[in-house]
Amino acid sequence: MHFLATVSSIAVLLATPAWAQTGNPAGMTPGTPQTAPGVPAPHQPNQPDRLFVREAAIGGMAEVELGKLAAQKGRSDAVKEFARRMVEDHTKANDRLLGLAKQDGIVPPDELDREHRAMRAEFEKASGDEFDRAYVQGQVQEHQKTAQLLEWEIGSGQDAELKSFASETLPVVLQHLRMARNVEAQVTGKVP
Amino acid sequence: MSGFLRGIPPVAGAILCSLAALAGPLPPDATYRPLPTLPLEAVKANDEAEKPQVMQRQADLLAQRYDLSDRPIPGVMMSGGRKPVQGGVRVKLPPGVTWESLAAMSPDEIRERGLLPAGLMPLPHVKQATGGQVFPNQEIDEVRRQEGRDLRRFDVDFDLPDRFTPEFPPPIFLTSHPELGDVSRGQLLTIKNYYELMVGIITPVQMEGLRLLLTPFPQEEFNQTEDRKSADQSLGVTCLDCHANFHTNAAFHQTPDVRPQAARFRLDTVSLRGLFNQQIHGSKRSLRSVEDFTQFEQRTAYFNGDHVSATRKGANLPDRTNQVAMMAQMQNIIDFPPAPKLDPLGHLDPSQATEQELAGEKVFVGKGRCGECHIPQTAFMDNNMHDLKLERFYEIGHTVNDLVMLPDGAIKTFTLRGVKDSPPYLHDGRLLTLADTVEFFSLVLRLKLTQPEKDSLVAYLLAL
Repeated sequence: MHFLATVSSIAVLLATPAWAQTGNPAGMTPGTPQTAPGVPAPHQPNQPDRLFVREAAIGGMAEVELGKLAAQKGRSDAVKEFARRMVEDHTKANDRLLGLAKQDGIVPPDELDREHRAMRAEFEKASGDEFDRAYVQGQVQEHQKTAQLLEWEIGSGQDAELKSFASETLPVVLQHLRMARNVEAQVTGKVP
Repeated sequence: MSGFLRGIPPVAGAILCSLAALAGPLPPDATYRPLPTLPLEAVKANDEAEKPQVMQRQADLLAQRYDLSDRPIPGVMMSGGRKPVQGGVRVKLPPGVTWESLAAMSPDEIRERGLLPAGLMPLPHVKQATGGQVFPNQEIDEVRRQEGRDLRRFDVDFDLPDRFTPEFPPPIFLTSHPELGDVSRGQLLTIKNYYELMVGIITPVQMEGLRLLLTPFPQEEFNQTEDRKSADQSLGVTCLDCHANFHTNAAFHQTPDVRPQAARFRLDTVSLRGLFNQQIHGSKRSLRSVEDFTQFEQRTAYFNGDHVSATRKGANLPDRTNQVAMMAQMQNIIDFPPAPKLDPLGHLDPSQATEQELAGEKVFVGKGRCGECHIPQTAFMDNNMHDLKLERFYEIGHTVNDLVMLPDGAIKTFTLRGVKDSPPYLHDGRLLTLADTVEFFSLVLRLKLTQPEKDSLVAYLLAL
C-alpha cells in the first residue's frame, strides 16, 4: 500500500518536468540549440548536467559494488537486507542514468573514483560488526551527499530528462537515507 | 553512556574519518551563486519569452490548491479600513475527504495515502530555479510614481491575487505617539516623502534611521551588473520596499539559509510591527537583536546569504554603532495596530468582546494550544523557534514546480497581534486566510477542533 501510494503520488507530482525551467544564471551555454527562446532543445546538457552524470554514475556504481560486498560480508540481517535493496534499486537507476547520458552524448566514468576505491578497500579488510558499522555509516553519508546532488541538479540542470530523473530519484534516495539511518541506529545505538 | 555503546570499538569511526579526506565535495555552485554564462541581452530575451508560461504554471498551481474567489468576511476590514479581510477555508481538499475525516486519520495514514491537501504543503516561488525578490504590482507602481525607480522584473510577476495580500499602503502606528493613530496619511513611505511626513513627529536619530531604511542599495536581482532581473541598471532596493510602511506588502523571496536552490523554501515578508517585543529575528536565523537583523539583511534578504555575490554587486555595510543603531531605533517605535478589545496584558475585555470571541479565546489558550507558543502576555510570541514536523503527513522529496518538498525544520513563532492585516499566513504564505490557518494547526497538532471551535478561533484572531 505504502509503496503503491508513493508511486502514484510520484506520477502525479512529476507530471510537470516538461515545464521545468532553467533559472540558474549559469544555466545555459552560449550556442545551445533551442526549441523556443529560453527552452533548450532535447538532449542539450549544460555543464551542471555533465557534472551531475559523472557524480551520480560513480555514486550509483559504488552503491552496487559495495552493496554486493555487504550482502556477502554483512553480519546482521538488517545490513544484508539493506545492501540487497541498494543493489536492486541502484542497478535500475544506473541503467536509466546511463541511457540518458548516452542520449546526451555524455561519456560517464567506467570506474570508481579514488574515494570509493578507498572505501571498497577498507570494507574488504573489515569483517563482522566492524564491517556492518563501517558500511552503514558510509551509506548514510553517501545518501546524504546524493540527496544534495540530486537537489542541485533539479535547480541547476538543463536537460529535461536528466532533471526528471533527479526529481524521480530523490524521494527514493531520501527513503534509502531513512533506512540507512535506521540500520545505523540498530548496529551502533546512534539516534536515527 | 550505556554499556552497549561503550562496548563498540571505535574502528568504524576511524575508517570513515580516513575516507573523509578523500571524499569528493559536492559542486561549489550548490552553495555559491554561479557567474552568468550568457550576456544580459540573451538572458532577458529568453526570460521574457518564457514569462507567460512561467506565470501560467504558477497560476495553475494556485488554482489547483486554493479557492481564490472573492469572499470577504462581511464588515471586517484591515486596520487602515482600506481592504476587506477574506474569509473561509481556501485550501482545497483531495476528492473524497473532509477536514473531519482527515482529523480522524493518523499522520502515517495521511502520508501513506497521499491525502495531505496540497495547499498545506510548502508553496513554491513563482520561479523556483531563479528565486529572488518579487514585489506586488501596487508597490512597483507606487515606487515608480514617487521615485522613478523600477522594481519590475522581466522574468516574473507577483503571483497571488491582490485580495490575499495586506492593504496598501498600510497604516503606521508609533509607540512614541499612540495618541496620533495612523501617521501614514495614506501614503507609502519613500525616500521622497519621508521627511515631510515625519518631521516634527520623530527624533533626529529616528529620522536618519528612516532615511537609511528607505535608501536603495544593490540587491541580487536589482543592481548594475549583467546578473540582474531589472531591465535597466538598478540602484537597488530598500528595506521598506518589502516591509512597506514597516508592515508587509507580501513581497516574497526564498530562505537565505538553505542550499541547494531547489530546496530553498519561499519566504513571505514579515511585518515589522511590534518589533520592539521580538527577541529573535529571521525565520530560521534566530538573530538576537534588531541590530543584527538590520545589519545582516544586507547579506541575506539582499543577497540570499551569499556574501561573495554581495561583494561583487555592491555590498552595503552599515556602520554598526552609528547607522545600524539609528535604523534599529526607528524600527523599534513601530507599534501594532490598536486592538480595542484587548486589555493591557493581551486578554479580551469581556465587556468589549462578543460571546464568540470569548469562546475563541478559551479555545486559543485551552484545547487549541495556540497560547502555548503565542503567549498573549508577550505579544502573542514566545521568542522561540519550533518545528511542527509537517513531514509526518507527506512523503518528502517530491518536486513541485521545481521546489523540492522537504521538512521546514524549526521556524520562529510569529506574533498574532494585528494578524488580520497580514495575509497570507505561515512563513511562506501557503495559507491564504485565518480559517486556513486554523485548519492547518487543527490537523498538524491533532486537535480535532469542532466547527464552532474553529469559527470562534477565527473570530478571536480577528480581534487581535
